[in-house]
Amino acid sequence: MDVNRRDILKGLLSGSALAAVATAGVPVAKAGKAEAVVPVPDAVGLMYDATKCIGCRACMPACQNANGLQPDPGGSGGLYMQPDTLNAHTKNLIKLYVAADGHERSFMKQQCMHCVDPACVSGCPMAALHKEPHGVVGWNPTLCIGCRYCQIACPFNIPKFEWDKVNPKIVKCEMCRHLVGATETQPACTKVCPTHAVIYGKRSDLLAEAHKRIKEHPGFYFEDRVYGEFEGGGTQCLVLSHVDYSNLGLPKLDKESVPSHVRGVSDFIYRGFLTPVVVYGGIVAIVRNRWKDHLNDSDHGGNGKAHGEEKPV
Amino acid sequence: MTERWERCIRLKEPLFTKPFLIFSALAGIAFLLSFYRELTGLGYVTGLNDGYSWGLFKNWNVTTLTALGSGGYAVAVLAWIFNEKKFHPIMRTAVLTSLVGYGTGMLALGIDVGRPWNFVWLADPQTWNRHSVLWEVAICMTSYFILALDVENMPPFLEKLYRSGDPAKKERAMKIFQFMQKTFPFGIALAFVLPSMHQSSLGALMYLAGTRVHPLWYTARMPLLYLIMAYVLGFACVLLVLALSAYFWDLGWDLEILGRLGQVMTWTSLLWLVAQFADLAYRGVLAQAFTFDKYSIYFLLETALILIPSFMLLSKSQRESPGALFRWTFLLTIGGLLYRFIPTTLAFSPLGDYRYFPSVAEIMMSIGFTALAVAVFLYAVKTFAILPASAGKVAAEEAMQPFDTL
Repeated sequence: MDVNRRDILKGLLSGSALAAVATAGVPVAKAGKAEAVVPVPDAVGLMYDATKCIGCRACMPACQNANGLQPDPGGSGGLYMQPDTLNAHTKNLIKLYVAADGHERSFMKQQCMHCVDPACVSGCPMAALHKEPHGVVGWNPTLCIGCRYCQIACPFNIPKFEWDKVNPKIVKCEMCRHLVGATETQPACTKVCPTHAVIYGKRSDLLAEAHKRIKEHPGFYFEDRVYGEFEGGGTQCLVLSHVDYSNLGLPKLDKESVPSHVRGVSDFIYRGFLTPVVVYGGIVAIVRNRWKDHLNDSDHGGNGKAHGEEKPV
Repeated sequence: MTERWERCIRLKEPLFTKPFLIFSALAGIAFLLSFYRELTGLGYVTGLNDGYSWGLFKNWNVTTLTALGSGGYAVAVLAWIFNEKKFHPIMRTAVLTSLVGYGTGMLALGIDVGRPWNFVWLADPQTWNRHSVLWEVAICMTSYFILALDVENMPPFLEKLYRSGDPAKKERAMKIFQFMQKTFPFGIALAFVLPSMHQSSLGALMYLAGTRVHPLWYTARMPLLYLIMAYVLGFACVLLVLALSAYFWDLGWDLEILGRLGQVMTWTSLLWLVAQFADLAYRGVLAQAFTFDKYSIYFLLETALILIPSFMLLSKSQRESPGALFRWTFLLTIGGLLYRFIPTTLAFSPLGDYRYFPSVAEIMMSIGFTALAVAVFLYAVKTFAILPASAGKVAAEEAMQPFDTL
């Protein structure tokens, strides 16, 4: 028994020493801090200025036509399009926020924010959700297994699922990536917007435009900031409004994206898969000794010898 | 009253007893509903929606219940790494609970995914997203099931082949067994590394959900806490299964094994409590535990169900009384399961006005998957020599055991 205890200590010590030596050579970020993802240089996006939006909702049918979606009658009894949330028929929705006092109001265009470091892409086991060349978050139906981890992961609660289909799809704004560059120069929503409340362009240009507007109207926009510049590691769709962004369904998010924290933790544990390999080696070493011991142990299956074919194990 | 478990025996009892038929019927209902779900869509059988897109199947049957399936993993650490030889006679029971636990969990996962046919692309490593925690869980659980659990559960099956009376079968069994003897340590090590990976990854799953998980549960240490809890629940599950088996099938009560199992479970549980409260204090959210809102009450309930049994089981007299050991372990199990379940569903709040309560069909399916695990367990212990017994109870034809204690 004493020998065994010594063995295991030896095994554990040599295992952890090996792990320490091996992992010291691998440059890894500290726990919880992986390298931040920055926008690709030609990242495109939308900028929605709620103070310019008149709530005409022209962008909604335009979006549905462009994406081949059926109109969603919502709770209207089938008479007209009236969805109350984004859903499997609705990738883009104009909502109206009215404060409790009835005075402060703002429209809000709800859709995929096309994060710089998207949680849905980070979580998607099959890389069905992915970043397109210009940073648009696209969905690939060929790879999606329908696990819906994207719905759990998305901080904006954007991806929707066709719950009533045998062959369900994930539905979310893909910035008309099937049209832009082919037959169109911009997504359907920005094309039809009569007041240019939502505009399409390079993210860097849109950010510059947002800051120009903030500078021209100091104190007008909420906290003089544009939502999406830094939130959750930054988004490619930006929002300007004069009301508190959290009232528009835009959550308060850290500057560091959640996926970067997840990568940090997993890098910390796995060290480029070195940890499992080293631990595996250590355990094999320990168990091999145990196994030899076990095979020789007369305590178990003592009458195997009489049987004469094989040592008892 | 205490006996010494040394060997594994097959239960000499007819398979088709009333409990077996009830569990099979429940499993059958789940299969019919699953078939209906495959023909229609998830929305027709579940209460899931775009806010709560994961429900009973993933959060209960997979994330929560596979912790109970960690028995084979947890007890193997005692038997093989810490070399506590007395645990070898219960290894077969332990790895069987893992097999049925993981098997039915993976079945639930397969029913839950919306586009299962695209699983074929897993064969192409180019499609893998190695950053995805869910990918890690899926690959690692499948590997564990195929490479480790199936192999660990082979000896009783080989033994049956060996004793079938057919010389060809006997020889084949011996050949496979000799191969297993050479590779066994590599398999055991795999059965340690893989569950360590995916049981901690299950904790990392909800880490990606960010602020949508309540701060009492949301921490970077979730993988560690989930892993420790997998050990606690693994020990607990084996203990409960053995206690129930001993009670119903008159196996006697090996105080040395069960008491020690209870003791290790208690220490592990206390370790979990220390880690949990150190983390809560470090993050400065401990005060939120006493706001007595919905989440605070979930937290206090979960903590009480883990804390009280752990402290009670510190007492030797409680561990040595079969009734007390069973009851405290049962309560601890409920507490542990709550910890694994709450962050995924009860303490998860998506933006917007979403509610989730599982539908009747969903509940029936979830119960049915678990009932399937019990039914397969009953079948296995009546077909193969799995449950432990004292040497005196071993029938003459089972006494010669080339595969003994594996």
